[in-house]
Amino acid sequence: MKVIAITGKGGTGKTAVTAMFIRSLVKKDQTILAIDADPDTNLPEALGDEVEETVGDQREFLLEERDNLPPDTDKERLLESKIYSVLAEQHGYDLLVMGRPEGAGCYCFANNMLRGIMDRVVKNYDLTIIDTAAGLEHLSRGIIRDVDELVVVTDGSRRGLMTAERIRDLVKELNLKIKKMHVILNKVTPQNRERLNEYAQELGLEVAGMVPFDDDIAQFDLDGRPLIELPDTSPAAVEMENIIMKLGI
Amino acid sequence: MADEFPFEISPMFEGERVRKDDMYVELAGPKSKGFELVNAVGLDEIEDGKFTLIGPELSEMEEGGRYPLAMIYRIAGELVEPDLEAIVERRNHDFQNYFQGVMHLNQRYDVWLRINKDAIAKGLNSFEQIAKASMMLFKNELTFIEKIEATYITDLAKVEEELAKAMERYSARDDRTRNLHDEDVEEFYGCSLCQSFAPTSVCVISPDRIALCGAINWFDGRAAAKVDPEGPQFAIEKGECLDELSGEYSGVNEVAQKLSGGEYNRIKIHSFFEYPHTSCGCFEVVGFFLPEVDGIGWVDRDFTGNAPNGLAFSTMAGQTGGGKQVMGFLGVGINYFRSPKFIQSDGGWDRVVWMPKHLKDKVLEDIPKDIVDKVATEEDVQDIDSLKKFLTDKGHPIVERWTTEEEEPTEDESVTETGAVSMPQVGMPAFDPAMLQNLPPMTGGGGGVKVILKNAKVTIDKIILSNKE
Repeated sequence: MKVIAITGKGGTGKTAVTAMFIRSLVKKDQTILAIDADPDTNLPEALGDEVEETVGDQREFLLEERDNLPPDTDKERLLESKIYSVLAEQHGYDLLVMGRPEGAGCYCFANNMLRGIMDRVVKNYDLTIIDTAAGLEHLSRGIIRDVDELVVVTDGSRRGLMTAERIRDLVKELNLKIKKMHVILNKVTPQNRERLNEYAQELGLEVAGMVPFDDDIAQFDLDGRPLIELPDTSPAAVEMENIIMKLGI
Repeated sequence: MADEFPFEISPMFEGERVRKDDMYVELAGPKSKGFELVNAVGLDEIEDGKFTLIGPELSEMEEGGRYPLAMIYRIAGELVEPDLEAIVERRNHDFQNYFQGVMHLNQRYDVWLRINKDAIAKGLNSFEQIAKASMMLFKNELTFIEKIEATYITDLAKVEEELAKAMERYSARDDRTRNLHDEDVEEFYGCSLCQSFAPTSVCVISPDRIALCGAINWFDGRAAAKVDPEGPQFAIEKGECLDELSGEYSGVNEVAQKLSGGEYNRIKIHSFFEYPHTSCGCFEVVGFFLPEVDGIGWVDRDFTGNAPNGLAFSTMAGQTGGGKQVMGFLGVGINYFRSPKFIQSDGGWDRVVWMPKHLKDKVLEDIPKDIVDKVATEEDVQDIDSLKKFLTDKGHPIVERWTTEEEEPTEDESVTETGAVSMPQVGMPAFDPAMLQNLPPMTGGGGGVKVILKNAKVTIDKIILSNKE
């Protein structure tokens, strides 16, 4: 039972990296829970799954319907069942999409129930992989707790690395109990490889690996093909194997 | 625990999820039909331990299949009564989740079960095994059950037929539950979730008063407190009823003192003016006193315009929130409008003069018939003058208060009512809520001196309020 959160600046390819993680790990016979915690839901597409409803929808359902339910309804049981019903079950992994953020009302009670439910759900898997935006929303609210490893994905830009640095500070500020943090340099070219690695060292960020710019990924993207189908021989897929070894997942 | 069953039974299997890949069979759930029901019957009506199956047996089901399932338990005992049915029924979920390889979700007509392949491989092949293990736990854990028998149904037509009957039982039970009132229970519940930002907030949840966030009713409080008594929701011993009308209880007062860090020692849960419930900041609706008409208006989060007092929800919410007893303002949950004790200490619905149209529509059926057309909305009035005219034209009961108060000014009124109520005379200048904050003897607001009058009779001919220069 291990929980990994993958984050980074928008457009750096964190969703692609998440999908490639899942692609490799499913083959290693781990039962995986994939959580798309980015409100701009992209992970289902990268995995080739269709998800109609989200955790956010179910939470909203509960808030809207709470006065119409039988008065003694056990709402935690109801919410738990609703969340199981939106869990997309695939071979080797299940996908849960967090979806829409909170509205204007009070979410204290709903989120408190959700925390308990998520704690129980996560325990059922060898590995939970969370694709989350740089604001770490669901982590900061404690909806998903006990993250073991935070992986920040960055592309070949200085700003991507600066985001990584800010995320490291945010983790401290939010007092998140994250055990380890690594950086994955993504879309790396022979030209920027050396410089990026140096810069990451200067910032004191531990690099887990450098995923090369991969024509296969670009082509998959254009064709709208899910990345989970990427061939083992693709340069990016090869490097992902190294990263998984290095992180000891 | 018991060798007679081919599966282990332990609370450690709670929360165990059966994934689709590992699933042998799915029963009931969102894509099929089913229910669970407990009926209380007479001791001579049932045979203890009897099990009946109607429809295909587990061993006859196809791997990966989905089937309907109804689980009906009949219980009997000297102490068994229909009121216990719901409590007993709830436990089916707990017990069946204790079985290794069995997943039970949700309740009533929404139950959803899965059995995993491992359990089948270890010898689980009949519903009788599940039913007998469940009945054993029912009797072990709920000792008032002297006899229990179970009928499981996996035949769709029969499930549907019995479900129709079950729906009537659920509905009758809901009617009883809705009729549960403050006086029927020994415990209320408290919630401390909001204390993180409103440290003196004292949240009291009773059958007739939902939490002001609207999220937690008395049953939710009970369920949560039972699971984790040290958690954010906890029981409050009601104690002695000090005043039924305003909802003042000794137990609540004690907890108020403790939770607010000594800030408040009295809370009347159905009062608007005197020792009102604290307002955290999560409230769905804020009530505001309109001194010019001696009435109360209500505005909710979704209303973006200004109330007749010229203020928006956000402005009043800022004034009200923070976990304080604030005079002239009160945060409530929408469901409190449906309470038979709705601000009954201060006249209940007869005191309500204005609310936004969408909010009024939401609770329309629960507004007493004789007042429903007399409560104004933003479509009827825009300011105090038009509100006054509306109330007069419609013959709102509040109008009578204007005349009685003018005729016999406050002689028999109690202290606090004098402070709160008598200052509004028709024709007062525009209402500034900041003024109210400085008025004794309410304990909210801007600090300074706290004046407590006991057994006092005060007559006031006139109060003049003016802004500090």
